[in-house]
Amino acid sequence: MADLSANSARPEIGASAPGFWSRLQQIPRYYIYLLLAMVVIWQILFPIFLPITPSATTRGLEEAIRTVPEGKLVLISADWDSSTQAETGPQTAAVIEACLRHHKPFVLMTLAPPMGAKLAHNIASEIAKRYHARYGVDWANWGYKYGTSNVLMAMVKDVPKMVGSDFYGQPVKSLPIMKGVRTVKDIGLVVEVTGLAGMTEMWIGLIQGPQGVPFSAAYTAVMAPGYYPYLDSGQIEGMLVGAKGAAEMEVLIARPGRGMAIMSAQSWAHVLIMLFIIVGNLGYLLARGRERRG
Amino acid sequence: MRWLGPQQATTPLVQHILLALLASGALLYLLHRFLGPRGRRALIVVVTFLFGLFFGLEYFLPVRTKTLWPTGLPNTGGSAGNLLTPGIEPMSNILAVIGAFTVGLGVYSLVQVHGRNVLRRRPGWHNSLAFFISFLAMFGFGLWQYSLHLPEPLPPTLTPLQAFANNGYEFLFRGLYAPLQAATFSLLAFYIASAAYRAFRIRTTDAGLMMAAAFVVMLGQVPIGAWLTRGLPNEGVIALLRLENLGDWVMRWLNSPAQRGIALGVAIGALAMSLRVWLSLERGTFFAEQK
Repeated sequence: MADLSANSARPEIGASAPGFWSRLQQIPRYYIYLLLAMVVIWQILFPIFLPITPSATTRGLEEAIRTVPEGKLVLISADWDSSTQAETGPQTAAVIEACLRHHKPFVLMTLAPPMGAKLAHNIASEIAKRYHARYGVDWANWGYKYGTSNVLMAMVKDVPKMVGSDFYGQPVKSLPIMKGVRTVKDIGLVVEVTGLAGMTEMWIGLIQGPQGVPFSAAYTAVMAPGYYPYLDSGQIEGMLVGAKGAAEMEVLIARPGRGMAIMSAQSWAHVLIMLFIIVGNLGYLLARGRERRG
Repeated sequence: MRWLGPQQATTPLVQHILLALLASGALLYLLHRFLGPRGRRALIVVVTFLFGLFFGLEYFLPVRTKTLWPTGLPNTGGSAGNLLTPGIEPMSNILAVIGAFTVGLGVYSLVQVHGRNVLRRRPGWHNSLAFFISFLAMFGFGLWQYSLHLPEPLPPTLTPLQAFANNGYEFLFRGLYAPLQAATFSLLAFYIASAAYRAFRIRTTDAGLMMAAAFVVMLGQVPIGAWLTRGLPNEGVIALLRLENLGDWVMRWLNSPAQRGIALGVAIGALAMSLRVWLSLERGTFFAEQK
């Protein structure tokens, strides 16, 4: 990375003598913004759908949901807000769809930031309507719980007591879905959907490791590389990586959604960014060649 | 007191909350009144040490023999614990209460700063006014909507007041707050595109390798990558050259070992930092700047 920072401070080759090659290195940023916006809008309006092949990490999560034992809950920890909603929103939707498709009861919970409780709730409500899933029976929202690691430690001992009341303020003990749920070991799978670093370490350190509760996760593409070691060690059973992970899950459960819609825009945006990098480097290398020659 | 929720809206609980608030206020007043900066520092150092000691001991002390291997395998079944484990829940509650106080402190600080700006008509005071309007609107509608305890799904007929409260909250949250935050962060995509074009130059071999890895991962992350190499076989050694497989290989075999090293380094650093905070050795902590 040292190269990058040094590059940004260094004057461009050939910048002193403006020519075609040097101009290639100095495209005004407004054109870049405009082109990127145009590509994204073009693909949102007229998407070109390309085939999506589910990766091993996504298949792992789908399998983890499918094999949750009968009578156990899937706990989706929606620890995200609008800043990462473009990725975590479709991921949450895809995980909820997978739970409902496989007839696995699920609960939502948010440890941080508080906004996640409402955003995930809206997504779950909309999807639940399609599957005629009833709140309190097939799914529930425990809401935002303050205290992060302390919440997890308290869950080990007594889940209903820790949760107290749900998203609507009613006692969770009164919900049919909570029948038989006493400690965290009554949860069949935890799926952490997040754009925040540090949450996974907490879940693994306090719940997955000591209590043996299966754990999976969905991360924004930018933070996912940091969690591959946990995947290799088996501490994370499956993982969704960015919007692509959501799209792959949608393919696996045969339910096209927001993830697949985003992928076409993201595909062409990536191509455009790479083209810009290639053009900039072409200008740089050719200008350097000209300078060396004389 | 309906907004407290059906379970909690009981008189004893309200009495306890009021009593706890009064007691906390009185305690804080007495501490401020009778303790100087040195006394306060000593108090914070002792409390920090004791809390850190409690959580550290609870984690590291061996669990009771009876519950250590309940099913013959470590870490399975039963609820293993030691003599400090029962204290985890009350301690967690204490931390949650302290956390709630910090929310109040944050609001107080914001109101103080922006209130001063508005009252003295400082430059940009209209931004502070916008803070008050948005804060009160969100707070008011949020509390009002929550107090209604509307069921899921929403009943087909709501009273005009219920509809106003619900729609007002939904408009502020879903219509304004969420899209504004999402839009602000979306701008990053444009900055990244511009920065990548300007800064990413192949000046050295290292930079060239990095660019090659970046291109492979970028293409491997989107369907167009798989489409570009769709002609390659799905199985065998050559399948590794398919961009989606190549991207996965980079992540698993190149990125993963590097991440392990980074994680280990970060963990050791965090441990050292935690020790410094726990023992109050960190410079500048707890009124260190006060004479």
